[in-house]
Amino acid sequence: MASSKGPASPAARVAEMEKMSVEQLKAVKEQTDLEVNLLQDSLNNIRTATTRLDLASAALHDLSLRPQGKKMLVPLTASLYVPGTLDDSEKVLVDIGTGYFVEKTMVEGKDYCERKIHLLKSNYDQLLELASNKKTVADEAGAALQAKLKQLAPQT
Amino acid sequence: MASPAAVRELQRDLENKANDLSKIQKDIAKNHQVRKKYTIQLGENELVLKELELLKEDANVYKLIGPVLVKQDLAEANANVRKRIEYISAELKRLDATVQDLEEKQNSKREAVLKVQQRMQALQAGKAKA
Repeated sequence: MASSKGPASPAARVAEMEKMSVEQLKAVKEQTDLEVNLLQDSLNNIRTATTRLDLASAALHDLSLRPQGKKMLVPLTASLYVPGTLDDSEKVLVDIGTGYFVEKTMVEGKDYCERKIHLLKSNYDQLLELASNKKTVADEAGAALQAKLKQLAPQT
Repeated sequence: MASPAAVRELQRDLENKANDLSKIQKDIAKNHQVRKKYTIQLGENELVLKELELLKEDANVYKLIGPVLVKQDLAEANANVRKRIEYISAELKRLDATVQDLEEKQNSKREAVLKVQQRMQALQAGKAKA
């Protein structure tokens, strides 16, 4: 269950952490570390998806430059290509998700790629902010834990 | 007085309650997983709906059924996606209610386990407890 980080200001957070025992602090740090890792994974996924969309957009652009009737090789499997000729490059089929494909013009197709890339970029920025906030909390927890352990150590 | 039979019975009770608690926690975890899957599907379907709405009336829509791309009517595709969104939203609401119920059960089980543990501690300390 995601724990809500009550105090918003870093000073208040550190004060809260000082009040906790070593056990609780360890648990908080582990929890935040997990969350940071999750967020980093999501960031990577978004980056991969954006790269793929960029490639698609570039491929589209390249396709639009080719004349109709141009000879090409069509991949049937990963190792089998078949010679063919380029038909109308003005129409493209776009996969919009959940098994639906839409026929669009070259311009609309490029526009689709642009739109998706913008959406992903804004998601990425939001996620990046969340991830850095969480990392700050995790670092504070780590520092507080270190301080607490040092406090307890000489007490023998 | 702390009879070994009473201690054993309490221990059995504790085990039962602890097992129940872990089962409830497993159910909660499964609920979260299913809810994650549905949320992802809902997001994807909403994206598709947005794209479909941007299309002109005469645009060609195809649906991938197995290895076959089948031409679909735009209105039909819209209706299908809307219906799926409705269904997924209903499922999510149902899951919400279930998880709330499970969490209440979890909390009350936790309290019950704690009480049994306390009784056991009292018994083992040698005091007779009713």
